[in-house]
Amino acid sequence: MLKKTTIDKLPELAACLMEKGTLVAPVKEAGGFNFRAITDAAQVDLIFHNTILSPKTVFFPQTEDFVRYSVYQPILEAKPVEPEIRPTFLFGVRPCDVKSFEIMDIHFTRTGVPDPYWRKRRDATIIFGFAFDTSEEADPAEFYHTLGIGAADPDGSDVFMLRRDDVLFLKAVSPRGENLLGGLAGLTDAAPDERKYFDDYIAQGHDYKTRYTCVDAEAIAKEFEAIFHNTDFWTKVSNACLSCGICTFVCPTCYCFDICDETQFGQGVRRRVWDACMFTDFTLEASGHNPRTQVYQRLRQKICHKYSFHIRKYGPISCVGCGRCTRYCPVNIDIFSIVEQAVQAKWYKRM
Amino acid sequence: MSENNPYIPMPVEISKIIDEVDTHDIKTFRFTFVNKDDEQKFVYLPGQFAELSIYGKGESPIGIASAPTDAGYVEFTVQRAGAILPGLVTSALHDMDEGGRIGLRGPLGHSWPIEFLEKKNIVVVGGGFAFTTLRSLVKYMLHKDNRSRFGDITVIYGARTPGLLCYKDELAAWEKRSDIKTIITVDKGNETWTGREGFVPAVCKDVAPSPENAVAVICGPPVMIKFTLPVFFELGFSKENILTSLEMRMKCGIGKCGRCNVGYKYVCSDGPVFSLAELEDLPRDF
Repeated sequence: MLKKTTIDKLPELAACLMEKGTLVAPVKEAGGFNFRAITDAAQVDLIFHNTILSPKTVFFPQTEDFVRYSVYQPILEAKPVEPEIRPTFLFGVRPCDVKSFEIMDIHFTRTGVPDPYWRKRRDATIIFGFAFDTSEEADPAEFYHTLGIGAADPDGSDVFMLRRDDVLFLKAVSPRGENLLGGLAGLTDAAPDERKYFDDYIAQGHDYKTRYTCVDAEAIAKEFEAIFHNTDFWTKVSNACLSCGICTFVCPTCYCFDICDETQFGQGVRRRVWDACMFTDFTLEASGHNPRTQVYQRLRQKICHKYSFHIRKYGPISCVGCGRCTRYCPVNIDIFSIVEQAVQAKWYKRM
Repeated sequence: MSENNPYIPMPVEISKIIDEVDTHDIKTFRFTFVNKDDEQKFVYLPGQFAELSIYGKGESPIGIASAPTDAGYVEFTVQRAGAILPGLVTSALHDMDEGGRIGLRGPLGHSWPIEFLEKKNIVVVGGGFAFTTLRSLVKYMLHKDNRSRFGDITVIYGARTPGLLCYKDELAAWEKRSDIKTIITVDKGNETWTGREGFVPAVCKDVAPSPENAVAVICGPPVMIKFTLPVFFELGFSKENILTSLEMRMKCGIGKCGRCNVGYKYVCSDGPVFSLAELEDLPRDF
């Protein structure tokens, strides 16, 4: 089912979705675009390249309250916080970011003890993927092509969208998407030549070149294992790192969190908040022992986790090449070039 | 959402506090479950741990010191942490009295591999208060229903001084039994100490347990482990038959928060028990 509407009718489509649940879509803000819960249908803006923060915020918010307690009251009075989870439409997600959900699903719900918060939010959300504009030159930070992700991959989306000038095409990908699209007012059926245009665009998405290097998951995992203890290499690549952690916060596949109790005037909340392996105290134990006191050890942890440990534990590389870490790094550390260097790291081993 | 939510602790009540050492900073806390359902669900084996949870302070992952054969309660031996950082949870717990209530999340992690240990001779080596999950293992193996499942049991346990030995009454009882060989050592004795003196690795070398059909289960401070592992390796124990338990800073305890990640393992959900062979497969990053 391929439907279409026009960009100027986007507010109508947004209003229609807002009637059915929460609409989360790209919104233009002072520093750039971000996914926000829409309160005014006119806010939705699809003239964007990608958002600053990844859409993982929808399933894994920056803070998640677990329990409310009072330090003056017995433990039995503490109340678990019921998260407010409504049917949600996550609108305008780029293919590489859609891929990140699948990677995060493995960690949060498909292995070990399932995380109830991630699962409930994920189950309640319908994803509208949105193809990159392949008529533009690729963003210099991005490298999703290296990871086998096309600029217009509909996989993982419920509905996949494509913009052609002033027309927005919407195709149902999953049964959930099919159900939804069938019942949305204001959409018209696409003509046969438009269907051909849509299919061709998706097929050609794989030919769209971002930065590229030949990476095989198993091989790169072993390469990083081999250079893990090569301090020269890690010191060199992490020389400029400030340990600020921005790369992890903007990353769609970083999931580390802290659980902390915040108490004010006796009333408190136990909540989980994003944390980052880039911070000194991340692994600091109460005894004073800290296995990662050096910047290079922490950058090494982050990169090896994504390109080595994750592969051995879960299968896929834990990176989708969205380029956010490179784009927002204040000292221009580029994960792609570190991966490239690791491939050639045998030269460093001889040094 | 609170049903089966792994992040929400269950309430437990302190029914007994035992002051273990003469420096009074290590105590064993016995907890009973406030809800009987929770007690039914808390099924564990020696070597597993749990998060002790105090609202307003936080959570601490602590090895379970009691044995599954101890019905009706669960025990944790806790040191008041704070040499470098204030140990918020452990300090608050040490300041509590019997009857006080805290939260408990668990049991977490993998136990000592009981099925693997069956029919083998077991050498238990412990140092300081890291003996807790080993005490659980020894109590479990010595239980009348379990003793016949295991071969010879040797316990080598050391502390810096006689006053720093934990579970003194139990050690005395084990020394009197014929179905367990108990060797207690201290780094430095005092005027009343009549037992053995010497560091744990040296005592292990001296006792020289046979590697024949034997597994060494070792837990202690890093420096003790560092020097004890090679002793057993030299005695002829294979790397698969030398077991230890790792510690890393933890938060969730269920392999989600990423904090205790070492290589492709999470210490909480893939460990904390590892064989020497498994440890050598991990990067030296802990």
